[in-house]
Amino acid sequence: MARYGMVIDVTKCSGCYNCTLACKDEHCGQEYPGYAAAQPVTGQFWIRLVEKERGRYPKVKVAYTAVPCMQCREATCIKMAENGAVYRRPDGIVIIDPVKAKGQKQLVSSCPYRVIYWNEEKNLPQKCTFCAHLLDQGWKEPRCVELCPAGALTFGDLDDPESEASKLVASGKTEVLHPEYDLRENVAYVGVPKKFIAGTVAYGDTDECAGDVAIILSGPGANAKTTTDNFGDFEFEGLPDNTAFAVQIEAKGYRVRRLRAKTQSDVYLGVIKLAKITESTRIGKPG
Amino acid sequence: MAQESKARKRNGKGKSLPIGLGFIGHFCDANASVADVNNGRLVRIRPLHFDWKYRPEEFKPWKMEVRGTLFQPLLKSLIPPFSLAYKKRVYSPNRILYPLRRVDWDPNGERNTGNRGSSRYVRISWDEALELVVAEIKRVIKSYGPYAILSQSDGHGETKTVHGPHGCARRLLNLLGGYTLQTRNPDSWEGWYWGAKHVWGMEPVGQQAASLEGDGDNIIPDIARNTELLLFWGCDPETTPWGFDGQMASRVCYWFTELGIKSIYISPDLNYGAAVHADKWIPIKPNTDAALQLGIAYVWITEDSYDKEYVATHTYGFEKFKEYVMGEEDGIPKTPEWAAGKTGVPEMTITALAREWSSKRTTIVHGNGGPGVRGAYATEFGRLEVLLLAMQGLGKPGVHQLKMIEWGIFEKGTTNPMPVGVRNPNVIPAFRGGMFSSDVSKVKQFIPKCLIHEAILNAPISWYGTTLLDAPVENQFIKYTYPAEGCSEVHMIWTDTPCWITCWNDSNSYIKALRSPKIEFILAQHPWLENDCLFADIILPVNTKFEQEDISVDPMGGQFCTVLRQKKCIEPIGESKSDYEIVCLIAEKLGLLDEYTSGKTIEEWIRFGFETSQIQDMVAYEKLEKNGYWVVPTDPEWQKRKPRLTNFYEDPERYPLKTPSGKIEFYAQNLARYFPDDKERPPVPHWIEKGESHDERLSSKRAEQYPLLIMSNHGRWRVHANHDDITWTREISTCKVRGPDGYLYEPLWINPSDAAARNVEDGDIVKVFNERGAVLGGARVTERIMPGVVYMDHGARYDPIVPGELDRGGAINTITPHNTTSKNATGMAVSGFLVEVEGVNLYELRKKYPQAFQREYNPSAGLRFRAWVK
Repeated sequence: MARYGMVIDVTKCSGCYNCTLACKDEHCGQEYPGYAAAQPVTGQFWIRLVEKERGRYPKVKVAYTAVPCMQCREATCIKMAENGAVYRRPDGIVIIDPVKAKGQKQLVSSCPYRVIYWNEEKNLPQKCTFCAHLLDQGWKEPRCVELCPAGALTFGDLDDPESEASKLVASGKTEVLHPEYDLRENVAYVGVPKKFIAGTVAYGDTDECAGDVAIILSGPGANAKTTTDNFGDFEFEGLPDNTAFAVQIEAKGYRVRRLRAKTQSDVYLGVIKLAKITESTRIGKPG
Repeated sequence: MAQESKARKRNGKGKSLPIGLGFIGHFCDANASVADVNNGRLVRIRPLHFDWKYRPEEFKPWKMEVRGTLFQPLLKSLIPPFSLAYKKRVYSPNRILYPLRRVDWDPNGERNTGNRGSSRYVRISWDEALELVVAEIKRVIKSYGPYAILSQSDGHGETKTVHGPHGCARRLLNLLGGYTLQTRNPDSWEGWYWGAKHVWGMEPVGQQAASLEGDGDNIIPDIARNTELLLFWGCDPETTPWGFDGQMASRVCYWFTELGIKSIYISPDLNYGAAVHADKWIPIKPNTDAALQLGIAYVWITEDSYDKEYVATHTYGFEKFKEYVMGEEDGIPKTPEWAAGKTGVPEMTITALAREWSSKRTTIVHGNGGPGVRGAYATEFGRLEVLLLAMQGLGKPGVHQLKMIEWGIFEKGTTNPMPVGVRNPNVIPAFRGGMFSSDVSKVKQFIPKCLIHEAILNAPISWYGTTLLDAPVENQFIKYTYPAEGCSEVHMIWTDTPCWITCWNDSNSYIKALRSPKIEFILAQHPWLENDCLFADIILPVNTKFEQEDISVDPMGGQFCTVLRQKKCIEPIGESKSDYEIVCLIAEKLGLLDEYTSGKTIEEWIRFGFETSQIQDMVAYEKLEKNGYWVVPTDPEWQKRKPRLTNFYEDPERYPLKTPSGKIEFYAQNLARYFPDDKERPPVPHWIEKGESHDERLSSKRAEQYPLLIMSNHGRWRVHANHDDITWTREISTCKVRGPDGYLYEPLWINPSDAAARNVEDGDIVKVFNERGAVLGGARVTERIMPGVVYMDHGARYDPIVPGELDRGGAINTITPHNTTSKNATGMAVSGFLVEVEGVNLYELRKKYPQAFQREYNPSAGLRFRAWVK
């Protein structure tokens, strides 16, 4: 039997929201008895797109992370459900029984990923089903995957080594969104947004962009080297959270600059001006 | 998909029907989709899987193998969010369900024209509506002659063919002796059409990629192979292409990055493309691009880093340009320091950009619209871009002007930077609407779209050019007047495109025109009760394309061209009818039905469309009808197509451009000849700080009161005024901002520093204003916008608090500049103008304007039909 899963590549997501909208097109106001009650017209996001603005002006980018139900193998919702209202199908899909789950509001808070939603009108917890009602009709993938223009969502059988999803997992590039929850998720990610440290280097004497300047990053578990481009820009991407780093900037004929940065959020160090070494600086006078 | 349809058959329910969900509105469709229908209801909208009914070997997918990568089409269409979520538009609570009459419009008594936009409506029967309409048409023609009727029938929206959403009325009005035509502006192309065309020809719109002579043929594979640097200049490939082509542009951008081509985005905002594709964002103050361009030229000239041989052999008048750049003409050298002062781009970045550009094979990328090309004096930006490209050898491999939208526009097969099919089908002969240059030769009187308010309020007026997008450049030198000789002024408006307020220039002034007693009757036909409809006297309900049979061609998706034979998916909602059917009913009352329809039924028109489609010998009509779609096979010779501009690059004498010199004109001889005294568009492109048409710079005295520059682009979650009521996009944080009163306001992007200076926090409701009026918006405090700049998309649904003065919906075009692009350039200027922003007290506003705030509203879809109907 299959074990359905999904790999979500954040680096390929353009943020078009087609996944969220396809889900709504399928489930809002349309019920699939045995699989899911109708989703309310607004307010639920069975595949939610988390939009994160990274950095500060003018070094800014946006990361979009799609978050569906993780179809966990150690699903807390199954454990928290009464009278078997949440169950795992033989193909690995976790289903909230739309009849048995009535009134079980505790399921909403059972999920650390917060992907179970409460339907006030129906008195029912609800979530993503991987469009099991369609898979059972012969569809190859859920609606969100079919509508993704960028190939950022890959759906498949994680127990079949030949499936694209399996191959991605086997590539070693994937991780789960929150390994600390320890839920054996069947949804994995490529390129989960980490932190960057970036800056722009300029020559203090000419006020020109300093290209091809060596930048050395050092910190716990991450030492890296790069050079500035012709705009004087440099960037270290994919750094761990909440870590203190030192950035050293070396350009021939200029005084070495050392800066500190902590990755509580993405860091843009701004324009860093390098001081030219002159006779006076060489003999040790303050520069 | 085969398995699924088997399953569906087994269950004995449902149909899957191909349908095009493009929003160009005329000529060509896009976004081929499939509607799943069950029990007369639309269940879901899906991409079209091209291989659903045909094998890939039949339509022959293309392949591009470049620098070790493989790029090829997917076997499904890449539809955008609003096509996908269109079910909410079809079943919108805002659909017009039956004919309506304005309560206080009495054709035999008081017309109360000044109440338009405030008064509500009552239901009337189709019979009553038709009688009123026919009586008014006859009365107006009898009193003033046929030219007193203005046909406002052009714009982007649902793309239909036989049911022609734009212009069905015109054929009938012709039978009645003529009418006044509102001509289509080359909107979103202003800078190229009114500027660049004088520099390099590129008929009809002044863009390389849209040149009818194939100047942009196959340039995407050329760029992939040869380009090192892409400048996305005011271009958002993740927004503007959506309604016209879908999301292939996005895939191409990812591929360019994979190829190692650097992408720099130059724009006041970190737009949606930049947010995910940019290697660098260079923020620039709105509508100051010309200064940046001049600064770059200065660096190249002083550092001797431009292609002097090319300039000598391929261009005309460079010395005069050089004199201007170096300050010999006006005493101001256009140094990077000077440019930094105008643009807000640091001097060192300007110099670095100039050096980066001159050292790398560079292509400029556009997506139409954007902040640069739709502002005051956009001609200068459009022209300078071509001149800079010329200074780096324009036309050589990897050096082009690309656009990420309208691949294959004009359905001639010569405007496609992507691989093409063996044929370029179209069903234009079956199109019952339309807007061609030839239409103008048939009418005695027309008014450019951007001058409607001027014509009504301040006639007589004059201007240059028909403004039609396919008019040749010579047309820009012809002066026209309104009223034309022997024609009456306009006293009736018949609109099937009621979106002037949301999409055109200074629409508060347009609202004054609509409320003028001079306009005795306004007839609107539209599916949704929105925008200009609220100013009509009679409103007729139109249905969506899901409710009709039709035929169309989707040529622009960048993957394959498909022909769609679209079936009726659901029954018409309420008493709605198609535009064509409505005009048929009116024609019948006038005794002109047979002449109007040429004796053909709708089915016969569809069949006629197929028979003239140019693929009628490649597929049987019965097969097309049964399958609902057909995919045009890729041309096996597609790789042999070469951009014509490359011929010009290789041999400019043999392959001249359509300019007086046949070369790229730094000094535009036509402008010198026809407009020798024009200081706003001189022969050599200039930086225009201010002029008789516009005073919208930070140096203006007005900036003391209105110190922010606002940019406006086509909406991320809309196509112009379309889709603003889609429940599911409205839940997205960049689409709407929920106010404390539960109303979803249009977002206004503001930098944290500007927000702090005004005590505005994220989510606050603010007023955006200048002396032309005010709109409300919801503040999005974001690092994605430059300090000193705010940003609001155009097209938000109009919800007047005080019509012509204050709008709750966020229709920013109500306060855009009034005048045209410049004195002799008849485009519109709707981005890059002065405003101020301040927080508002909603409770006080509500107290002051209870009626406006009490309109029936639901955040899921906005204003309800019932808000305006008794």
